[in-house]
Parts: sequence; structure tokens; C-alpha cells
Amino acid sequence: MKIMLQFELKKIFHKQVNKIVLFILAAVVLAGSCLAIRDVWYYREDGSKISGLSAARQLKKEQDKWKGYITEDVLRRVVEEEKAARVSSAGDEVLFKIQGYDDIRDMINIGFSEVGDYDYYMCGNITPDEAAGLYDRRMLRIKEEIKASEEKAGTALSEKEREYLLNQYESLKTPLYYEYAEGWKALMDSQYLSTLMTITIVIIGFLVSGIFSDEFRFKADSIFFSAKLGRNKAIGAKIKAGLVAITVVYWSAMLLFSAIILLALGFGGAGRMIQTGRNFSSIYNITYFQFWLFTLLGGYIGTLFILMLAMFVSVKSRSAVVAITIPFALSCAPMFLGRIPAMTYIMNLFPDMLLRINWYVEEYLIYEIGGKVFRGYSVLIPIYLVLFLGMVPVLYYGYKRVEVK
Amino acid sequence: MELEMIDLTKKFGNFTAVNHLNITMNNGVYGLLGVNGAGKTTLMRMLCTLLRPTGGKVTCNGKEIFAMDGEYRKLLGYLPQDFGFYPEFTVQDYLLYVATIKGIRPAVAKKRVKELTAKVGLEKAAHKKMKKLSGGMKRRAGIAQAMLNNPKILILDEPTAGLDPNERIRFRNLISELAEERLVLLSTHIVSDVEYIANEILLMKDGELVHRGTAGELIGSMREQVWKCCVEKKEVKHFMKKYKISNVKSDSHGVELRVISREKPDQNAVLEEANLEDVFLYYFGEKAGEDNAAI
Ligand SMILES: Nc1ncnc2c1ncn2[C@@H]1O[C@H](COP(=O)(O)OP(=O)(O)OP(=O)(O)O)[C@@H](O)[C@H]1O
Ligand SMILES: [Mg+2]
Repeated sequence: MKIMLQFELKKIFHKQVNKIVLFILAAVVLAGSCLAIRDVWYYREDGSKISGLSAARQLKKEQDKWKGYITEDVLRRVVEEEKAARVSSAGDEVLFKIQGYDDIRDMINIGFSEVGDYDYYMCGNITPDEAAGLYDRRMLRIKEEIKASEEKAGTALSEKEREYLLNQYESLKTPLYYEYAEGWKALMDSQYLSTLMTITIVIIGFLVSGIFSDEFRFKADSIFFSAKLGRNKAIGAKIKAGLVAITVVYWSAMLLFSAIILLALGFGGAGRMIQTGRNFSSIYNITYFQFWLFTLLGGYIGTLFILMLAMFVSVKSRSAVVAITIPFALSCAPMFLGRIPAMTYIMNLFPDMLLRINWYVEEYLIYEIGGKVFRGYSVLIPIYLVLFLGMVPVLYYGYKRVEVK
Repeated sequence: MELEMIDLTKKFGNFTAVNHLNITMNNGVYGLLGVNGAGKTTLMRMLCTLLRPTGGKVTCNGKEIFAMDGEYRKLLGYLPQDFGFYPEFTVQDYLLYVATIKGIRPAVAKKRVKELTAKVGLEKAAHKKMKKLSGGMKRRAGIAQAMLNNPKILILDEPTAGLDPNERIRFRNLISELAEERLVLLSTHIVSDVEYIANEILLMKDGELVHRGTAGELIGSMREQVWKCCVEKKEVKHFMKKYKISNVKSDSHGVELRVISREKPDQNAVLEEANLEDVFLYYFGEKAGEDNAAI
């Protein structure tokens, strides 16, 4: 069995086109991580800016001054200092002064903006005492948020759903802790990660879509299926080879991407809650490290499902070219199509959602199933895990029954 | 080893490729002869469980082969007519891989691969990639893979196509050597391939078995005789139209024809001993008719 698996892997990784796409993936990982690192900005006193590694080092110095719990006092100070900064400096110079606590500013901006709106200058419009009530304000805001979404959808949330959302908000332990976390933010708060996942899935699509159909393409099917194990263990080896290829390539790409960014920008802030910044209103009470793990695991489940489907299509169509369109269609198409409002409910259940967890983690996506309320991803991940596992026998028996004509 | 085809039928849509065949085969070499499209490959694919029959069944020692599944395929060696390889594999990799999916233990597989590469004369090419082999070398690798599991049932679809004369002889000897203790079924259009090594020859036409027997029996079954006669060039056309001609040889004096006919085709025609090629023509051949006669 082990030898059979080795041979199947050899078939995959010795193919010229597969070597090329893997090379492309490696290049994309490197380029993507460099771009993500370059997206870290530091503003000098004169308002000019630098980016990348040195920016991160400077930024850390600024942010370390604010390291600690975001207490009422800290919130007051943020509003006071921001106001002072805006008075005493012009144009981009102000950015130099606020970059030590920019994320806290962001929390306040989100917290005090109208529902469905984001006011970048909100900090300047409220008093320090108002800002001190940010955490209470957050509880109030969820209620407004619920009301707004009910009006928009035309249906009311159930009592349980409402309770669940409130409960999720309440259980966030405040005050939140703040420290430098540019590494994690570059990794998680940008589009690069989900773009990389999309590219990775398409590239693994190249690797796995030939596993089954190449037997037909190379006309090796007659010998394969007339061999003793051709309709049982040899198929198992093919499925295993597919899973190994998916797993190894996916995690290599993700871990390499993460490692480059974190090694460059620092691992600090892993324990910071994701609510300390642009995900201030998220119902997922997790730290950046958990967020990262969650996003990668969810992406892995989505990848497994989509590529399993691609392999199944390659069995049915006997064509790797047709199979390759599956990861394209499922991971890219919804992105281009946009999320049509009428389709939102369906689109929210699409597997591509799993490739963009870090993007949708701020949405209040919940489902009530059998009297219990679940968050979007608490539903999606198990669904696709089960669908993926269900695909395994379907793929196996689909190939087992093939006739050679 | 007994392989029995019972009412075996395969239809593609409403075209019948194999038509209610009833054949029993035991150990020995069987030659399957038939024109293009006779249904030889279709029959062999069913015997290899690659195609499901639309009617009837095949049994191996009384058990239905699809029900036997792996147990049956364990006994099987198959060389397809039209087949391919994993282009990036070397000959050795390829044979080792096939050995694995045939369920042969690695240690045994290594030995068998070495033996067989030598037997089919591929030692020098063992580390060449499959995509770099010539057509004949590929077929030899195909023959080697079929033998890997020392099959009790060996099914070879046009095994000698593309082999050079040396290799053809070597192959024939190999089959004769192997024929003991196993059932070998080989299809071909090349009559001489089976003339010497087949214990029994099956003649297939339009999906049906038209005749079976040893070479001698088949020759004896001819209801017409073989004649040799020399004619002038301009007469050839006339003969072609009227008779089945199994050979035409021109020289400066005229043309020597080998004619299959019930009556003496020409005054000076002499009776010849029939061979298997004449039988093939007798059963499958057509008189050339207007078109071909013009050539
Ligand atoms: N998959 C298929 N679908 C439809 N028709 C088919 C299929 N396979 C074979 N046939 C038809 O069945 C008939 C028998 O084909 P088969 O390949 O068995 O002939 P054969 O005796 O092996 O011929 P050859 O000597 O050319 O190899 C042919 O008329 C062919 O067109
Ligand atoms: Mg054929």
C-alpha cells in the first residue's frame, strides 16, 4: 500500500506541468508575503512615510508605549491625544502622532459610528468620557445592529438568535489587551491570505485533477483496471495520493507565507483579541493566533472539499481539463459575481466562504438549527467536513465502476 | 483452468459487436483470427472485466468472473491492443508499479521485473523513460507487464503488432514456452503468428464464431481448393473479379496467381496445398470486385 502510494505521488510530482505550477505557487507565496510586509507603514514626523521591515520596527516603538489593557483611562487618553494631535499638526503629520494607538482609535470609530457607517473622524467628535464607555457602547450597538438587520431583511430574529448574539458580545472579556501585533495584522487583516488560498486551491487543482483521468488520457486504464487491485486498493492509493498532495501543498504554502510574514514583522500580539481593531464588532471572541489557526483550518476543509469534488468530476468526465474548472468556479466565481443580495443566503453557504474566513469574521452570520444557534462558520466547517468525507466513498465507487471502452 | 463464455453478447447502442458467443477454453494457446471490426478486442475486454456484457456471462472454473472480482483478476495477464504508459516513468518504474497494483509483494516484484526485462530484451532500456521508447519496445514492455503475475489466463490483443522479425520469433518462442499450465488467448491478423503456436484457432466474423479448430482442421474445412496458375498481365483483372486471390506475384514472363476456387480456374493451373492464409481468405475474403480489380 505504501509503495502504491509512492508511485501515485510520483505520477503527480514528476509531471512537467505540475512542476511548473508548483514553482509558480512558490513564487506567489514569496511575492505575496513580501507585498504583505510592504503594506506596513510608518509615518515620520514630517508626514512622509516608509514601509516594510524598518517601518515595523519604528511602529513597534510607538505602539509599545500603549501596551497594556485598554481601560477607560486609556480610551480617554486616546481621544484627548488624537484631538490634541489634530490641533497641533497639519496634514499627514498627524499620522505620525496617532500611529501608536491607531487600532484603539479604530475601535472607537467603529463603536461610535452609525450602524452601517464608518466615520474615520469619530474620535474627534466625542468627549473623552463618552469614549470611556466604549464597551457599554458596544453592547448597545449590537442591539441597533440587530434592529437594522431585521428591518433590512424584513424578518425578525428569533428570541434565541437575539439572545445568542447578545451573549456572544457579553462574554467578550473586557478590558481588551493591546500590544504591537503588526505581524498578525499583516497576515490576517489583508486580502493576501485569501487570495493566496484561492491561488493555492487552483494550483493543487492542477495536481489532483489528473490523478484519475490520466489513466484514460495515457490509455493506461486497460492495464490498471484489469490488475488484481485495480478496482480496490489501487483506487484507495489514488485517493490517498490526492489527500497527501492537497495537505502537503496547502500547508506548505500557508505555513511558509505565515512564517515569512511573522518572522519579518514579529510574532508579538498573538494573544491579542481580534476585537482590538477592525474586527471590533465580531462575534468570534478569539485571539489573533486562534484566528489564524481557525482561518487556516477552515480553508483546509474548504480546499479538501472543493478538490475532492474536482477529482470526482475528473472521474466522471475522464478529463483533467474539465476537472480543473471546479476549483476555479468554486473559489473565484463567487468573488467576481459579487454577492447578489437575493442570493446572499445561498452564497453564504458556498464553500468559498471557507477560503475567506478572515474576511467574513466580522459579519453576524448565524443559523438556528434544531433550537440551537450556531455561528456561520460553526455550521459551514462541519457541513463541508461531512461533505468531504462523504465524497470519499462516492469517488471510490465512481472509479471502481468505470468501464474501459 | 476453464474459461467459459455463455451466450456472451455486447451491444453498443443497437450495434452488436459480440453476438451470443458460446466458447469454452482450457489450458493451451488459442489464436483469435478475424478482420478489423470483427469484435476481437471487445470480446477480450469482456474477458478482462473491463466491459460488462450486455447479455450472457463469462465463468472461470464455473464462477462468474465479475463476482470473483480481484480473485479473477489475480489470474489475469492482459496486453491491450492500444495502450499507453505514464510518460515520466522509466521502464523499471512502470513494471514495478504494475506489479504493485497486481498485488505482488515488493521483493518478488523486483525479481520478476528483472527476469522479464531480460526475457523481452529490454535490459538496456530499463532506466529509460517510457516516453522515449520506440513503438516495438513499448509493446515489449507491455508483454512483460502482462506476464508479471505469472498469469494463469493470458490475454494478448495483437501482441506482435510493431515487432521486428527477430522479436516476433522470440515472442512466439516465449508464448510456446509459457503455454503449458495456462490459457493463452491471442488475437492477430497475422496468420503466421498463430499457425505454429496455437493449439486451436478461432475464426471470428461480425461478432460471431464462424469456425474453430486446429490449423489442420481449418484447412480441411475448406470447401474449395487452392490453385497456382500463370497468366498474362491483362488477364489478372478478370481473375480478380471472378475468384478469391490469395497471392499475386509478377515476373518478366507474366503473373503467378494463387487462386481459391472450387473448379480449376485455368487450363494449366496446378493444385497447391492450402495453408492457413488461404483459410483466412476463404472465410473472410471477398472477390475484389470492380473497384479493387482496377488497381
Ligand atoms: N466503445 C464502443 N462504442 C461503440 N462501438 C464500438 C466500441 N468499441 C468497439 N465498437 C465497435 O464494435 C466493433 C468491434 O470492434 P473491436 O474493436 O472489438 O474489433 P476488433 O476485432 O478488435 O478489430 P481490430 O482488428 O481492428 O482491432 C467495431 O465495429 C467497432 O466499431
Ligand atoms: Mg482489436
